[in-house]
Amino acid sequence: MATGVQNQESVPKYLKKQLALTVRNIQWSYAIFWSISTRQPGVLEWDDGYYNGDIKTRKTVQAVELNADQLDLQRSEQLRELYESLSAAQTSPHAIRPSAALSPEYLTATEWYYLVCMSFVFNIDHGLPGRTLSSGQPVWLCNAHCAESKVFSRSLLAKVCAVVTVVCFPFSGGVIELGVTDLVLEDFSLVQWIKTLFLGAQQAIVSNKSIHVSGNNNDLVCPALDPLIIDTKLSPILGCEHLETSFPDDIPDGLEPNQPGEDSFLVQGIDGGASQVQSWQCMDEEFSNCVHHSLNSSDCISQTCADVRNIISLDQEEKNYDNSLQDVDECNQIKLASFDLQNDLHFHAVLSAILKGSHPLILGPRFQNSNKESSFVCWRKNGLVKPQKARDGTPQKLLKKILFFVPHMHDRGLSESPDVNGVRDAVWRPEADDICGNRELPERKRREKINDRLMILKSMVPANSKADKVSILDGTINYLQDLERRVAELESCRELTELETRTKRKPDHVERTSDNYGNNKTTNAKKLYSSKRKTPDADEVDDEIDHVATKDGSTDNITVSMNKNDFIIVLKCPWREGVLLEIMDVLSILSLDCHSVQSFATAGILSLTIKSKYKGSSVAKAGTIKQALQRVAWKY
Amino acid sequence: MENSTQESHLRSDNSVTYESPYTVYAMAVSSTPSPTNLNHQSIALGSFLEDYNNRVDIIAFDPDTLSVKTHPTLSFYHPYPPTKLMFQPNRKSSSSSSDLLASSGEYLRLWEVRESSIEPLSVLNNSKTSEFCAPLTSFDWNDVEPKRIGTSSIDTTCTIWDIEKGVVETQLIAHDKEVYDIAWGEARVFASVSADGSVRIFDLRDKEHSTIIYESPQPDTPLLRLAWNKQDLKYMATIQMDSNKVVILDIRSPTMPVAELERHQASVNAITWAPQSSKHICSAGDDTQAFIWELPTVAGPNGIDPLCVYSAGSEINQLQWSAAQPDWIAIAFSNKMQLLKV
Repeated sequence: MATGVQNQESVPKYLKKQLALTVRNIQWSYAIFWSISTRQPGVLEWDDGYYNGDIKTRKTVQAVELNADQLDLQRSEQLRELYESLSAAQTSPHAIRPSAALSPEYLTATEWYYLVCMSFVFNIDHGLPGRTLSSGQPVWLCNAHCAESKVFSRSLLAKVCAVVTVVCFPFSGGVIELGVTDLVLEDFSLVQWIKTLFLGAQQAIVSNKSIHVSGNNNDLVCPALDPLIIDTKLSPILGCEHLETSFPDDIPDGLEPNQPGEDSFLVQGIDGGASQVQSWQCMDEEFSNCVHHSLNSSDCISQTCADVRNIISLDQEEKNYDNSLQDVDECNQIKLASFDLQNDLHFHAVLSAILKGSHPLILGPRFQNSNKESSFVCWRKNGLVKPQKARDGTPQKLLKKILFFVPHMHDRGLSESPDVNGVRDAVWRPEADDICGNRELPERKRREKINDRLMILKSMVPANSKADKVSILDGTINYLQDLERRVAELESCRELTELETRTKRKPDHVERTSDNYGNNKTTNAKKLYSSKRKTPDADEVDDEIDHVATKDGSTDNITVSMNKNDFIIVLKCPWREGVLLEIMDVLSILSLDCHSVQSFATAGILSLTIKSKYKGSSVAKAGTIKQALQRVAWKY
Repeated sequence: MENSTQESHLRSDNSVTYESPYTVYAMAVSSTPSPTNLNHQSIALGSFLEDYNNRVDIIAFDPDTLSVKTHPTLSFYHPYPPTKLMFQPNRKSSSSSSDLLASSGEYLRLWEVRESSIEPLSVLNNSKTSEFCAPLTSFDWNDVEPKRIGTSSIDTTCTIWDIEKGVVETQLIAHDKEVYDIAWGEARVFASVSADGSVRIFDLRDKEHSTIIYESPQPDTPLLRLAWNKQDLKYMATIQMDSNKVVILDIRSPTMPVAELERHQASVNAITWAPQSSKHICSAGDDTQAFIWELPTVAGPNGIDPLCVYSAGSEINQLQWSAAQPDWIAIAFSNKMQLLKV
């Protein structure tokens, strides 16, 4: 706060005073001193400034009692403080924002301009201050708001904040910039006058002793100090007292309008070259120790430098939301620092960063045409539009149609099951790793069961090499159809045989024939049965034709002979359709594995010789077998 | 700008409207400037007619003059409505003076969009016989590997195509039911949503396994759309059938959505992440509104509110936010297409 500056207090305070006085005298809006940054060589940054423009309200967060003059000075301090706090909030978003006396809502546009200027840096040769410094000549810019951004990088800012005239002139290693919201026509004499004001003041301060009024160049100085001295009203200024003693008394009231008049100075003949240079040099020394007001402005730069690497590597992995936005901001700050003349971006970046908290509409820094407003409006909780249109009931109608119905428009005789159509060769079926846990488990088990069954099916069905579900099912269907066909064939063949055997009465021949048939049939029949037991082997047809003597008539008998687990069954019974099958059934029920079957049917009599092995667990009894066979063979 | 009227008041300098002769569903914004005029952007619009004959029109959008121009020859017929249209992403404009457009219907088709004509390039058909085809519900063009397109189909599979060679790279049975949407994350990783209600991530390097990262709370409620945040690959968004919620998922924490954006007053139809920012997502629905949301690091207790809103004249069916024009969002409702300034 600009109260009580001590004697050994920093010289910059003088600068502020000078700026203050100057700008007040000429009744302009602000004065800024840009100086060479100590952190980054070759760059001009905001050093100090004074704000003299419109103020919306004097209200501050904390009520502070000050007199009117102090208030003015304080305003600049407050603005600086606000800038610092906002920058701090930006650079470390998680930290609590340091409280500032001012809060953003209370600022006018011009104050915003002043505030935002604090964030700017200029390379020598770039931007208005930069070029001023490099050329060493003052620059007067009228209609700053209409200037091209190449000429005046803050033209957009100026337009928004109604800053119309900007003047820069080099001064003691830096650049002094003055601005006003009115149009002031170019008048370099004013610049000169201001310079001498400054010049004089500097010299006075630097010397810090009584100034000889006499002398050539110093003459300028004395009167020029007049306005400065007024400051004694505000607060004690270094050495002001003794300065006062040296000076004439006709000190105009510094708060009065500027009257560049006879008492002020000798503008002409300022060949202030030498002295100016001197003073500049001195100034340089002094101001090189100048307090850079906040870590923030220089911190901003250093931080932006540090973050260049981050931006460039585009480390997306670790970015959280804030960082990304901030990084892009800083990217833009870097852009400016690297003097990409996208100054709009900088403006928006800073503005957006500053406004981030309060203004919800800022969507990241990529604004290209800020002139065109967005089609979107801020969302308000209760400002929702109630859809009055009567819906025809189906939500997401078009989306559903596209997903559910349109694909089936392409149907050209597709079956219902999607699997049949889509699955082709070499299709992967990833097993879904479920991370949810319990809910998925029964479903997965079900799927696994289905897969298992399909595998079994595959193994049962011959000649199917493909592993996918559809092929397995296809193969099974085919195989079943095949088998059905064969069974039908066999049955018709058997009928045929039956017919033949009945008509032809040549036993031997018939026998043989039927033998062959029988053997064939049995072979086939056996195949059927053995496939049930998954052992397609043991198809040995006992080629020995066991000639059982044909017995006529009442030789319905059954003989079961047993040798350990081997049973030989000789059976004769009246032939009827399916009797052979039934007998085989019974035998399998009795756990008898028939490995050889010979049968012939002659004259309505079925003669059967079966060699089988008992596969059951309990002890087999021939009697049981006989009984069972009797039951089957002789039932009608 | 008032928000009290039914429709947002459209200023002529922040939006462009194009009225099409038919209902529009599929929409795509080109990633490269139009070959005719470097300031123009090509936009493809697919019609929705419940008929065999549907059309796809290409129009040119000029963001400077805010105008939309149609070209009578930049149009082609499509059998039944195209379910999705997409221009090749990141197409190097120096490579050729034409643009590549893909459309999905019963097959994946590629078209070359030239200055004043559109030539069909190829029809990518996976079925061996002419009887069967698996109609596609959606597809996604890999922007890291531009020769790779992944398609999703009602036959529960996702097919990955190498469009340069015109062959299938691989085919996966992705879900137990129809797959409704697919989105690429990296060059070899994609995710899909299905009628079985799950979001699954697949990696082409490990075709034996997939990862379920979310399942709809009511079992078997279909998930209709999926969007993967290209700026921050940890996040995805999905919408459920008949739901007004946009579910935001973090792939690092499966099954638990990180956020459910519930401010639509009717079901949501389309979602798209912002191409230039990892925090923003846009959603549009049957309540005729399009919201832009900004996802905070920490959500408040009452849920997340949208950043801003736009109200269209009728239910918004389609939403596109192109990386080539990040300041503009394209929406489609009934037979209109609108470009809105962000």
